[in-house]
Amino acid sequence: MQRPVCIVGVGLSDGPVTPDLSAVMLEAQSFRRALDDAGLEKDDIQGLASAGYGGMHEVALAEYLGLTPRWLESSSVGGSSFEFHAMHAYRAIQNGDVDTIAIVYGNNQLSASGRTLGTGGGGGGGRGGMALPRPMTYEFPTGLTLVGAYAMAAQRHMHEYGTKPEQLASIAVQTREHAARNPRAMYRDLLTVDDVMSSRLVADPLHKLDCCVISDGGCCIIMTTEERAKDLGHRPVYVRGAAGGTTHHSIASMADMTRTAAAVSGPKAFADAGITPADVDMFAMYDSFTYTVLVVLEDLGFAPKGEGGAFVTDNGGNLRLGGALPTNTDGGGLSCTHPGMRGLFLLCETTRQLRGEAGDSQVPGAEIAVAHGSGGWLSTQATVVLGTEAT
Amino acid sequence: MPDPTMANAAEWKPQDWSDVPKWLMPRPVQEDREFWEGAGRGELRIQHCTNCGRHQHYARMLCSHCGRESLEWVTASGGGTIYSFTVIRQNGVPPFNERIPFVVATVDLDEDGARMIAAMPDLDPASARVGMRVRAAFRAAGDEFGFVDFTAAE
Repeated sequence: MQRPVCIVGVGLSDGPVTPDLSAVMLEAQSFRRALDDAGLEKDDIQGLASAGYGGMHEVALAEYLGLTPRWLESSSVGGSSFEFHAMHAYRAIQNGDVDTIAIVYGNNQLSASGRTLGTGGGGGGGRGGMALPRPMTYEFPTGLTLVGAYAMAAQRHMHEYGTKPEQLASIAVQTREHAARNPRAMYRDLLTVDDVMSSRLVADPLHKLDCCVISDGGCCIIMTTEERAKDLGHRPVYVRGAAGGTTHHSIASMADMTRTAAAVSGPKAFADAGITPADVDMFAMYDSFTYTVLVVLEDLGFAPKGEGGAFVTDNGGNLRLGGALPTNTDGGGLSCTHPGMRGLFLLCETTRQLRGEAGDSQVPGAEIAVAHGSGGWLSTQATVVLGTEAT
Repeated sequence: MPDPTMANAAEWKPQDWSDVPKWLMPRPVQEDREFWEGAGRGELRIQHCTNCGRHQHYARMLCSHCGRESLEWVTASGGGTIYSFTVIRQNGVPPFNERIPFVVATVDLDEDGARMIAAMPDLDPASARVGMRVRAAFRAAGDEFGFVDFTAAE
């Protein structure tokens, strides 16, 4: 028998700038806050997932936290790792392998490394002197950056579909509007499309304000059975469907730069949940760059292929509160928090929305939310559909 | 505030990328030595699959199109078409920080199935466009190896 699975705890560390906290301290802080939020203690945690620091990180983290989990997960596929973790945790709990799992991530990216993410060369894969994995050995000597890789994809979309830089800019503007309501956001001053368009070009056609921020921060979510969730304090948030996939690693091998693996993961996750895109009340999307949002909106079916630009700007801005699909209501990676990888924060924000705890940013009556992670160079995509008891 | 983009455009000149810092030198491995040595002697070497007829770059053990172990090295014509490109205007790593702005393109080679990322050091960023015909240009990397850049062919 398959058991329904719920998210019962979410925790955010201090942020977005925490020079006095190391990465693992941020992880521990968010873990403790998620336990408190759930009304659980550490020994309730039977499974642990984390990613982002190389081999055996989740094992070291378990030791640091004083856990002895019997389920471990460390899929490390870039920023979407945590949607993959949630998918695997969902299946493990559903199938009865384990009851309660914590997914944890934290990083002091800003305080430790500064604001260079994405323009350090090698498509973001590394710096001088470091042995690079192929195929990055071919890209690094060209001077390509991580931002440049996304920029090439955006350029192709503009070529094929006539997408305008102003439409990409509108995504940053609408996301900033969400951030303006969030005291935890890194940047809160409202923007205009002109502000984005007149910000420095980093890699054509992407401007500085088309790029996510670099911050510090940690996040944790706790998942368990519906049965256990009903004994805990919050309105349970149900995992209704999940799917993931990849089409390439390096951007050169992305056969069609206007279509990601979200075109596969989305329909599968939606079918799993028994919903269509029209049923989705709010969306949390890994907005590494404005283009990432645009292409995935299309791939998930919120807009027809090639019409993402119009979808974003129609109706006075469909990503705003009151729009067809309020998106990244915490201010996203573009304006709020992006500590190296953002995937886990998407599951936190969707959970807050479905609990009705999003305050000024609450989407009224939100019953179905989608968290979608994108990792690498648009390489890995994973979709998680969340609902309430009513859905 | 001055627009740095326009300033770049006004001052842009073809760039000399002939100086290759030691740490940027190719480090061939078993399966791709042929590519780097080929570039060193002015040939764009790619793999051709005798099973499905398609090509691939970079070198691998199996054909990424059909999965068979049926690859041979061939010399590509050097012709290609820009699938997409960007203009890198920020790169914190030397020597690229001194070369900005420059064009990096994704080039579909004329040989079906093969695509590569390449720098276009002598292309004015203002001239770059998707669909542009380009051809390979070789740049020495030490005595043995080379890089494959691309240059406009129209």
